[in-house]
Amino acid sequence: MEVSSSSAFNLGLLDTLTDDSLQEIVASYDGFCAATDALLNGAGDLSVGSEFVSHVHGLCKYGLDSLVRDHFLRALEETFQKNGAFKFWRHFDSYGNSSELQMKNHNIGEGEVQEVLCKALEEISTEKQYQEKCLLMLVHALQSFKDHGSEGSHNSDAERFHLFSKYQLLVSSVLMASLPRHFPEMLHWYFKERLEELSTIMAGEFDDDVEIQDNDDMGLDERSKGSYGAGKMEIDEYSVQGRFSENNKLVKNIGKVVRDLRNLGFTSMTEDAYASAIFLLLKAKVHDLAGDDYRSSVLESIKGWIQAVPLQFLHALLAYLGESTSYDDVSSGLKSPLASRPSSFYPGSEIPSEGLVRWQLRLEYFAYETLQDLRIAKLFEIIVDYPDSLPAIEDLKQCLEYTGQHSKLVESFITALRYRLLTAGASTNDILHQYVSTIKALRTIDPAGVFLEAVGEPIRDYLRGRKDTIKCIVTMLTDGSGGNSNISGNTGDSLLEELNRDEENQENTGLDDDFNTDDKQAWINAKRWEPDPVEADPLKGSRNRRKVDILGMIVGIIGSKDQLVNEYRVMLAEKLLNKSDYDIDTELRTLELLKAGSELGNTELPMDILDATIISSNFWPPIQDESLVIPQPVDQLLSDYAKRFHEIMTPRKLMWKKNLGAVKLELQFEDREMQFTVAPVHAAIIMKFQDQVSWTSKNLAAAIGVPVDVLNRRINFWISKGVLAESLGEDSNDNVFTLMEGMVDTGKNVGSSGACEDLVADDDGERSVASVEDQLRKEMTVYEKFIMGMLTNFGNMALDRIHNTLKMFCIADPSYDKTLQQLQSFLSGLVAEEKLELRDGMYSLKK
Amino acid sequence: MEVRPNPTADNSSATPPHRPRHSSSKQPAASPNPVDTTSVSQRLQKELMSLMMSSGDLGVSAFPEGESIFTWIGTIEGGKGTMYEGLSYKLSLRFPVDYPFKPPQVKFETMCFHPNVDQFGNICLDILQDKWSSAYDCRTILLSIQSLLGEPNPESPLNSYAATLWNNKEDYRKMVQKQYFSGEAFES
Repeated sequence: MEVSSSSAFNLGLLDTLTDDSLQEIVASYDGFCAATDALLNGAGDLSVGSEFVSHVHGLCKYGLDSLVRDHFLRALEETFQKNGAFKFWRHFDSYGNSSELQMKNHNIGEGEVQEVLCKALEEISTEKQYQEKCLLMLVHALQSFKDHGSEGSHNSDAERFHLFSKYQLLVSSVLMASLPRHFPEMLHWYFKERLEELSTIMAGEFDDDVEIQDNDDMGLDERSKGSYGAGKMEIDEYSVQGRFSENNKLVKNIGKVVRDLRNLGFTSMTEDAYASAIFLLLKAKVHDLAGDDYRSSVLESIKGWIQAVPLQFLHALLAYLGESTSYDDVSSGLKSPLASRPSSFYPGSEIPSEGLVRWQLRLEYFAYETLQDLRIAKLFEIIVDYPDSLPAIEDLKQCLEYTGQHSKLVESFITALRYRLLTAGASTNDILHQYVSTIKALRTIDPAGVFLEAVGEPIRDYLRGRKDTIKCIVTMLTDGSGGNSNISGNTGDSLLEELNRDEENQENTGLDDDFNTDDKQAWINAKRWEPDPVEADPLKGSRNRRKVDILGMIVGIIGSKDQLVNEYRVMLAEKLLNKSDYDIDTELRTLELLKAGSELGNTELPMDILDATIISSNFWPPIQDESLVIPQPVDQLLSDYAKRFHEIMTPRKLMWKKNLGAVKLELQFEDREMQFTVAPVHAAIIMKFQDQVSWTSKNLAAAIGVPVDVLNRRINFWISKGVLAESLGEDSNDNVFTLMEGMVDTGKNVGSSGACEDLVADDDGERSVASVEDQLRKEMTVYEKFIMGMLTNFGNMALDRIHNTLKMFCIADPSYDKTLQQLQSFLSGLVAEEKLELRDGMYSLKK
Repeated sequence: MEVRPNPTADNSSATPPHRPRHSSSKQPAASPNPVDTTSVSQRLQKELMSLMMSSGDLGVSAFPEGESIFTWIGTIEGGKGTMYEGLSYKLSLRFPVDYPFKPPQVKFETMCFHPNVDQFGNICLDILQDKWSSAYDCRTILLSIQSLLGEPNPESPLNSYAATLWNNKEDYRKMVQKQYFSGEAFES
C-alpha cells in the first residue's frame, strides 16, 4: 500500500524503474520497516542503528525520502499511542469516577495525586525522550544521505526542526485525542494542593515580614525574593533561608511538572490549572482577610500577600522554566502604562519579566474585584456601621477605582435597600439615619455624587410616602443633643452636627463659585479637576452643581420647602412654649445653622420668615385653641402683668394664651412633696383640689372651663402619678376624682419627697400646636368631602375631571394644590377604604 | 329656562298652586342691574364649602355643574319612612346673578311623582317663590325639598292625580316607583 501511494507521488520516476531497482526498493523498504519496528519497540536497543541508516539511504536513493518520513512518523505515533499515551492515562484511571469525590475530601489521597502524576510524567517523558532519540537518528540518516549527494548545501536544522515539530504535534494530538475528562480537574487539584502547601510555608514568612517592616510604608519593596538575607532580615536569617530552600525545592518540583506537561503539549491546560488554583487561593485569602470586619483596611495586606505568595511562586516558576527575562520580549511595545510601577518592587534584583508583571496585574485586578464584590454584597451592613467602617469603604473606593464597576454597586445596593430598609418594619428615623450614612459613605467613594444620585432615589421616593418623614427630619435637624426621648436611636450623627461641619468645610474650601478667586486658586481648582464618571447623567449638570450637600438631599425628600419650614415652625413654637426661662440660645443657633445651610446648599429655604417668629403672631403656626379657666390667683397675676405691660408698652397689649406654656408646680402633701413641670391645664386641674378634695368630672370640667372629654384625658396624668384617684360616680359618665392625700401607693411610681418629674414631652399626642400632619389631614378631609360631594351629584367621574373640578371649586381655606399624581394616590386610598369604586377609569361612590 | 312652560297653563287640570305668585319671570330681568358677580361667586363658594363639610348623612348634596358656579346639580335622597325611601332624585339649581336676593330656580331632573311637582320637574314650594329670604341657602333649599317629598301640600297641587292618590299609599308608592324607574330608563 505504501508503495502504491508513494509511487503515485513519484510518477515520473516510475518509467525509469527497472526490475532490479524495484527489487532493491522492496528489499530496502522491508528492511527499513523491520529496523524501525525494532528500533521503536526495542526498549532502548540501538544496535539496529547502522542497519536502519543504510536502509534509509537505500530508499532515499530512489527519492523516497518522504515515504521514509511518513512511515517513521506513523510508526512513532502508533508506538507512542501504545507505550506512551495508553500507559500514561492508565495511571489516572482510578481517579476517573472518584476524582470529584476526592476533590471534596482532602483527607483522601493527600499527596497521592502528586505521586501518581510525577510518576506518570516521568514515565511518559522517558518514553518520549527515547522516541526523540530515534527520531534524531532518522534525522541524522537523512542528513548524512543529503550530505553525500549535494555537499551539504542543505540547512540541516530545517530538517530536524520540521520533523521535531511534527513529532511534537503528534504527541499532543495523540494525548489530546485520548484525554480523559477528569484530567484537567486533576491538574487543578494538584496545583491547588501544591500552592496551599507553598502558601503555608510562605505565610509564616509573610507574617514575619509584616512584623519586621510594619513601620515601612512601602513595605513591599524588600519582600521580593532577591533581597532576602539583606539588612534587617538578618534577625532570623537562618529560618528564612531554611524555609526558602524548602519552598525552592517545592517550586522546583512544580516547575518540573509544569515543564513536563508543557513538553507533552499541555501548555495552556497547565496554565489554566495553576492560574485557577492561584485565583482560588487568592479568593480564599481575600475572604479570609476581609471577612466581616469593616474596621480595618485589608487592601494593603492583600496586596502584600500577592507579592509574598503567588507572585513569588510565579517568579520562581517562570525562572525555572527559563522565561524570567526572555518571555515575551517582542511584545514590550504593548507594555501597559501601569507596568512601569511594579518594577520598583524589585530593587536590587533583575527587572521583573513582562510575564510576571502581567501576572501581577491580573492578580491584583482579581483581588480588587473579589474584595469589591465582597464589600458590595455587604455594603448595607458596612453603611450601618458607618463611621466605624470607614476603612472598608476606603478599600472599596480603591477597588472601584481599579475595576470601574460602580454600576454593580448601585444595583446591588438598591436591591439590598429595597429588601432590608424600605419596608414597613423600619422606622422612619432609622431610614433617615441610614440615608445620612449612605450619603456620607458614598461621598467618600464618589465625591461627585453621581452614584449617590442613583442610590438615593429609591430612599427618597420611599420616604416621601411616609407621613412622619418631615417630623423626623426636623427633629434630626434641631435635636443636636438628642434630648427628645421618644426619638429612638443614636443622634450622635445628627444633622445638626453635619451642618456644623459643613459650615466649617465651607470656610476652608469655599469660594468655589466666587468671583474673587485669584489666579492661584483658579490654578489649584483647575488641577483638582477630574472628569465626571462615565455613568454620570449629563442631564443632571456638572459636578459643582451636584456638590454633595446632605442638608439639601434631606430637604429634597420633602417635596416642598414650605412643608419643612412649617414643621420647623411648629417644633420651634413647641420648644419655645415649653421653656420656663428665656434661654433660647440653642434654638437661635439651630436657626442660624439652618439659615446658613440653606444658603450654602443651594437649598434656598425660606428661612428668613423665621426671624420674626417670636414677635409676630403671623409667624406662629395655628395654635390649638382650648378654653381654660385658670385659677383665680394666677389669673389675677396674669392680668396684673398684662396691665403693667400695657402701661409700659402702650399701645401694645398683652393677650395671654392661657392654655399654652409650662407651669412649675410643687405639691405639698402631709407626708411628701412633689415637683412637676406641667401644662397649664394640668395645673388648673390640680389647683382645684386645693379647695375641695373630691370633684365629679362634670363639675370639675365646668370649673376649669374645658369639655368633659378633654378633662378626662388630661386628668389621667395626675391619676398616673398617683396624686388623684378615680372612682365611679352615681352617673356612669360622671366619675369622681379624689385627692390621694397622705397615701403612699407603691404601685404607682411615686417618688419620695422632692421627686421632680418633667412631663411635658410624655403627654402623648397632646401637642399645643397643630402639627403639620394634622393640618395635612384636615386638608385631605376637605378634599375627600368635595370628592364625595361631586360624585354624589355626577355619578361617576374620570380622574382629570375630578382634578379640574377640585381646582375650580375647592379654593377656600386650604385651596387645592395637589398634582394629578397626588390626587390619584389619594383616590386610590379612598378606593382601598372602600369609599370609592374605580371602574374603567371612572370613579364612583361605593354603594 | 326660556322654554320652561308655565306650569299652570300646561297642567289644565291643576288648580292654582298653593302659593301661585310666580316671581320667576322677574329673574332674568334682574340682570340689567349691575351686580357684583364676584361677591355672588364668593357666597356660592362658601355655601358649597359648608354644604360639602356638612352634607353626607343628611341625604342632600349639590355641586356646581361644569365650569360655572351658578349652575348646580343637586341630589336628594328620599327620606326614611316616606314613599320615596331608597330613591335618589337629581335636581338642577340655577342661581341668578343677584342671588341671594332672588331665589335660585330649582327643578327636578328625575321624574318625580308628587302632588307639588309637575311633569316637567317644576316645584311648587313657597320658599322658592315669595317666601324666599336671603338667609336661606342651598342646603336649606335642598332640605326643604326633601321634607316636601314626605309631606306634600295637597292643597295646591301641580299634579292633581298625585294629590288624589296620596291617600292610597299602595297605589301611590307604585306610581312613584313607576315614574322613577321609567325616567331612569329614559335617561339611560
